[in-house]
Amino acid sequence: MHNGLTTDILRRAISSMASKMESCADELNSLDNQIGDGDIGITMVTGFRAMLEVSAELPDDIGMALMKCAHAFTGTRASSFATLFATGIMAAAKEVQGKKEVAWQYLPQILEHSIEKMAQRGKSKLGDKTVLDELAAIQKALVGIEDPNALLETADRAAAKALDEFRELPCKQGRARIYGNKTVGINDPGMVVVRELVKGLKEVHE
Amino acid sequence: MHMKKIINDPAKYVAEMLEGFCAAHPEYYQQVGPQGRIIVRPEAPIAGKVGIVTGGGSGHLPIFTGYVGKGLLDAAAIGDVFCSPTTEQIAEAMRRANSGLGVVRLYGNYGGDVMNFDMAGEMLEMEGIESTTVLLTDDVVSAPSDEKEKRRGTGGLVYAFKIAGAKADENAKIDEVTRVAQKAADQCRSVGIALTPCTIPQAGKPGFEIGDDEMEMGMGIHGEPGVWRGKLKKADEIAQEMFDLIFKDMPLARSDTVSVMVNSLGATPTEELYIVYRYIKTRLDNLGVRIVMPLVGHYATSMEMAGMTLTICRLDEELERLLMAPCECAFWKVGAYA
Repeated sequence: MHNGLTTDILRRAISSMASKMESCADELNSLDNQIGDGDIGITMVTGFRAMLEVSAELPDDIGMALMKCAHAFTGTRASSFATLFATGIMAAAKEVQGKKEVAWQYLPQILEHSIEKMAQRGKSKLGDKTVLDELAAIQKALVGIEDPNALLETADRAAAKALDEFRELPCKQGRARIYGNKTVGINDPGMVVVRELVKGLKEVHE
Repeated sequence: MHMKKIINDPAKYVAEMLEGFCAAHPEYYQQVGPQGRIIVRPEAPIAGKVGIVTGGGSGHLPIFTGYVGKGLLDAAAIGDVFCSPTTEQIAEAMRRANSGLGVVRLYGNYGGDVMNFDMAGEMLEMEGIESTTVLLTDDVVSAPSDEKEKRRGTGGLVYAFKIAGAKADENAKIDEVTRVAQKAADQCRSVGIALTPCTIPQAGKPGFEIGDDEMEMGMGIHGEPGVWRGKLKKADEIAQEMFDLIFKDMPLARSDTVSVMVNSLGATPTEELYIVYRYIKTRLDNLGVRIVMPLVGHYATSMEMAGMTLTICRLDEELERLLMAPCECAFWKVGAYA
């Protein structure tokens, strides 16, 4: 039993999140089609397939492993969401460079750093109803938790709650912003991606 | 309207275009990198010279890949029609352009491009390659002057490529090339108009609809909304409004020097551009503004869109000298190399 994140656990997490993305890709695309390009499902599936391809050769240095994942994810499709997602992975990679294991208690700190970098790159802020709001809700809930089971349970609850809260708000960022009040009552596709990824992570554990 | 294009397969539009592009001009362009989406000078990287890299979506020839050449760009990363290239493609274009003295990322201000170029810059930084950013924000209609950083890049790119390329040709350091590129970018103002839409091959239908007798003032090169839409006006009235929009944003005074670009978005013939240029020239003459190197033709297009852009680039002595310096690509030659 590990006390933290290792490359081996990362491999299992990627594989499980990848199957989750495969199974909900169509749903994500049609959700995205209401307010955007309609390709977020394809973007996630292609990105995760690319990470799966490099999964076997990921180094033990968890930072280097995450860096390789970020490169793989961005190499496939020119999508703003893919770049944003990879920005988060790369920010995490830099935080843990040189480590072979990262204690679970540091996850919120790493996630906070990723959110900050993603906000800079996407030129958006919390409250705009984007993927950042979903991640931030999870991040806040995880602070102070060390047990991996409790981390997953808490993340799962926080992810569901944030999605519910933001559904009723208008989107203020990106192309969806143009649709304004039409986005009220509709889930933000980026937030749903994170929600589904957390579900995927729960399955790897179970 | 049914899509009417000379193509084989929409999915192969960019690949087949690039294949022909490099086959026609092997002395200027070489196709390399992931998915073959990087066009690089055959002699790159050039020892002693700072690299200049651009990129963006296909559908704008000669922008972006066309301006790879002597005294211009070292490499360009090219995406699908109207789509950003990937981060990896941009990063690889920068690696190919880097002779060890760093790379200037010089491109238009579009959200997806900015994210991918920034990310590529971060990747290169970790590989020990220095790079800087200069963004074109010359489209005056796309945001008010107090939000200039939100404006889109358009025809001004051509001036920035030329001027930055000439500075890099003098073996200037990266901060100097960046400085003149930024200065050129800051001195460019553009306005566009559209008469008809264009069709992205993979979409199969026009990007927007516009009446047979209508025009849109201020429309962006991808069909971004402009200032007004209404009945098509006469050339002089159109030119007057475009000139005034620029003049209001960048007042010109007697003894100023400018270069003027009257550019077709694709379908508008060069004849009509000269009708517009004639008006602009009179206005500038009346103001006592000197014009050097007027550019009238197809410099930055949007496939088969009918319409045009007007760009005015204000020049000081340094910018004028760099604009007049030699350059050579398949679409544009200035002067001659000794």
